[in-house]
Amino acid sequence: MAGDIPMENFLILSAILFGIGFYGVLARRSAILILVAVELMLAAVTINMVAFAAYLDPERFTGVIFAIFVITVAAAEVGLALGIVLRLFRDRQTAMVDEASDLKW
Amino acid sequence: MGMEHVWLLPAIPAVLFALMGLFNGLVPRRGDFIVILGMAVVVVLSFLVLLDFQGSFRDGHFAPGDSNLYSFSWVEIDTGVVDDLLLIEFSTFVDGITVLMLAVVSIVTLMVMIYSVGYMRGEVRYGWYFAVLSGFGAAMLMLVVSGNLLLLYLSWEAVGLASYLLIGFYWERQTAAEAAKKAFITTRIGDVGLLIGIILLWRGAGSFDIQEIIHFAEGGGYGETYLTVTMLMLFAGAAGKSAQFPFHVWLPDAMEGPTPVSALIHAATMVVAGVYLVARMMPVFDVALVARDVVLYIGLTTAALGATLGLVTSDIKRVLAYSTVSQLGFMFVALGVGSVTAAMFHLFTHAFFKSLLFLGSGSVIHATEEQVVETLGGLRRKMPATTTLFVIGSLALAGIVPLAGFWSKDEILLVLQDGAGFGPFVILAATAALTAIYTTRLVLLTFFGEPKDQAAYDHAHESPAVMILPMALLALLAVIAGFVALDPVGRALGFTGGIGEVVFTQGHEGHAFKLDATIAIGATVSALAGIVLGFIYWSGTAERAVRARQWSPEFHDLLVNRYYIDHLYQFTIDRVVLGLATVVAYFDRWVVNETGVDGSAQGISFAGYRLKFFQTGRIPNYALAMAIGVIVLALVAVGRT
Amino acid sequence: MIERLPLPAPLAALLRRAFYPEGSFRLPLPAQLDRVIIYGGLVAGAVLTPILLVLIVLLVINVLTAPELVFWLASAVIIGGALGAVLLKNIVHAALSLVMTLLGVAAIFLLLGSEFLALVQILVYGGGVTVLLLFGLMLTNATDDPIVSDGAQKPFAFLIGIGLAGILSVALVDQVWGAPTASMVPFRELGKRLFLDFGAPFEIASLVLVIALIGAIAIARRDRPEDTEDAAMGDGA
Repeated sequence: MAGDIPMENFLILSAILFGIGFYGVLARRSAILILVAVELMLAAVTINMVAFAAYLDPERFTGVIFAIFVITVAAAEVGLALGIVLRLFRDRQTAMVDEASDLKW
Repeated sequence: MGMEHVWLLPAIPAVLFALMGLFNGLVPRRGDFIVILGMAVVVVLSFLVLLDFQGSFRDGHFAPGDSNLYSFSWVEIDTGVVDDLLLIEFSTFVDGITVLMLAVVSIVTLMVMIYSVGYMRGEVRYGWYFAVLSGFGAAMLMLVVSGNLLLLYLSWEAVGLASYLLIGFYWERQTAAEAAKKAFITTRIGDVGLLIGIILLWRGAGSFDIQEIIHFAEGGGYGETYLTVTMLMLFAGAAGKSAQFPFHVWLPDAMEGPTPVSALIHAATMVVAGVYLVARMMPVFDVALVARDVVLYIGLTTAALGATLGLVTSDIKRVLAYSTVSQLGFMFVALGVGSVTAAMFHLFTHAFFKSLLFLGSGSVIHATEEQVVETLGGLRRKMPATTTLFVIGSLALAGIVPLAGFWSKDEILLVLQDGAGFGPFVILAATAALTAIYTTRLVLLTFFGEPKDQAAYDHAHESPAVMILPMALLALLAVIAGFVALDPVGRALGFTGGIGEVVFTQGHEGHAFKLDATIAIGATVSALAGIVLGFIYWSGTAERAVRARQWSPEFHDLLVNRYYIDHLYQFTIDRVVLGLATVVAYFDRWVVNETGVDGSAQGISFAGYRLKFFQTGRIPNYALAMAIGVIVLALVAVGRT
Repeated sequence: MIERLPLPAPLAALLRRAFYPEGSFRLPLPAQLDRVIIYGGLVAGAVLTPILLVLIVLLVINVLTAPELVFWLASAVIIGGALGAVLLKNIVHAALSLVMTLLGVAAIFLLLGSEFLALVQILVYGGGVTVLLLFGLMLTNATDDPIVSDGAQKPFAFLIGIGLAGILSVALVDQVWGAPTASMVPFRELGKRLFLDFGAPFEIASLVLVIALIGAIAIARRDRPEDTEDAAMGDGA
């Protein structure tokens, strides 16, 4: 279905998406927005793996299997991370990660 | 169970040591019965090994010294020194000497374990005691079955460790802790020699295998001086372990341990490891005759020294300890004239009667909580069984016909007369008579006469059956063990002949036992004379002995102070060793500690004080640092492709 | 709410019917969410429609093939959504912008022949994960004050984001992959492979999911009521 689109297109798309996600993780203060950025990075990785599976490994498509696992783990991760954020918010009335800086020198 | 499975013998108690040492709290009775059962299995197995040995020996399939029975490659190192490969094998080896040692070690260990059930009842660390006893058994069995000097050295140190643990068993007591240290360090001095000797032997032969070393030595592979030095080093190890002059000082102090331990380790098994080592290496000593002569004269000195000190010591266990030192001297004398047979025979008989004597003394101590002979006396009325058994052991030690000690001591005197001439013979014969005297003294002061300390006497009682029974068994062996020297007895037991035709120097022919009438009669007469002398001096209230003390107070002082040998050692340690230690300590404090250790620590501390502000506590900062790392790694990875 | 939006009356009525059907249960999401969705949709449509038009023109004059058109469109959605997710100041807007990206990723999966994965992506991400994120925002009272400032290290983050994307692109293009065409992932084969070859990992993944969710509950739940009551009584006394 992808036809003649070169694989590099998908890879570069994924690289750009990954860079944007990385920027979000580093630049954001809100824990939930950091989580959003992490989801972007995971999506980038998934695109990469699916592209590899479709182009390089058409018989076994292990990349697709991996993508399924990534989605599963990402769902678990979001649930757990939101639990932590809620706990943080209840204890400190904030969801800004840089305001929880007790563990310093 | 053939001889090739002989490695099982040390393996069983070793496993029990590990299990019981850790988990004795989980089993009923702290696991004493498990350890004893394990050792009983070992006794059975050692007899199976004996049967197999008999069979192959009789059929002529097996000539001692042919090959190792069981081996696997343990360490292989490409050294580039000898044949480009250092091969260390875990190998076992069985010949007459091994079989004899297996029997002695397993039987005495079992007896002592059973005895300990009564003796150690209610003690703290009861389970640990049995575990260590099992560990000792494992190490000792390993020592006698190993066909490889490195493995032998390993077990050698392991028995030393077990000895240390058991001497210091009552470590709450200052003297016991000190005695344990003294024993360990003194034997360790000898062990250094042993290690050097082993390395020197390996350097020549390129192998740790005992048989290969013997072949190499017999082929003249070592230089004469080289070999002499090497064998003297080896003998230093043997002398340290077997408490020979000048290393004898640790053994009397080792009596701080529980008495069954003294019977096992410091009378029957570990202290004869040195004798075993020299006997095992005898073909090499036969090449280095100077070293063999040193063995002879050291043995002679020790025999006389131990016997004289046994005369004046008042602690019942220490008397037995000096007696052990002296008897070990006898064995080394036999080795010094090249007779493995006589030495191993005496080792065999001595193991039984001396452990019997120690267990008897343990019975006395158990009953009276007193171990100074001057406060004992008259115990025969309270403890008839112990008295009888102790007297049997004493007669065997004194060398009265037909008990075990007579046969083996006779053999030693005989080979000494043949091998070393008149002077040494006279000294050893006199020592034998002295043996009879101090033995008589010990028996008289302890069990006969009148009680000197009424409280201790009133407290005394006969020991329980679990203690008497192993003693009775050992007494039986002390009576009959000597007969194995006789050809008919040996044949009846399934051997080709008496002990002389089974246990002998590897590579030599066995010889039949001969009884020289002159020596036999002379020895018996002198032993009897010793006993009579003992009676004259120490019977009743022993006033004649007290008078003899005034006859030459200087000599008495010399003996009481143990020839001032301990004082000399103490002086050396105080002045030389501690002086050197002061210098080293100064260097350590100012150069190593202040500059090196503290300096670097302070540097790190300062750096930490400065660098800690990198820890902002803010997760985004950490993420940024990680991101920079990712970028760098990515650049490196891209740059390389 | 919808009445107050400056929209033509028929459209307002339509939206009203869509969002507030009579007697239906309404999620306790803040009212402004409606506005966000509506405005966001309008903005996205306004941006994407010209792009779509241009692409269609290109398709018609045979510069692009149909798959290429889908790819570029999806890329535009993904990149645009991602930029929105990391740049928008309003938390709720950013989270919703993520949905756009994830839907674009689903389109890419379709393009790569993995219908199953596309479905999973829409169901799990577009549905579950996004709703979860919005719940998180709501429960942390972020919707009361939805504007947050970014961290002080934003310039560094910018450099690193650009740099990483650049390095990865260079590395990926540098490599000769030798795989000109993609092929479909057959649905049936995927099932076999997932449940036969990867059966054990699959089961373990399900365990991980359960454990993570139980853990999340354990972490996030309120302290036990008896504890708080005790504390309250202690305060009262």
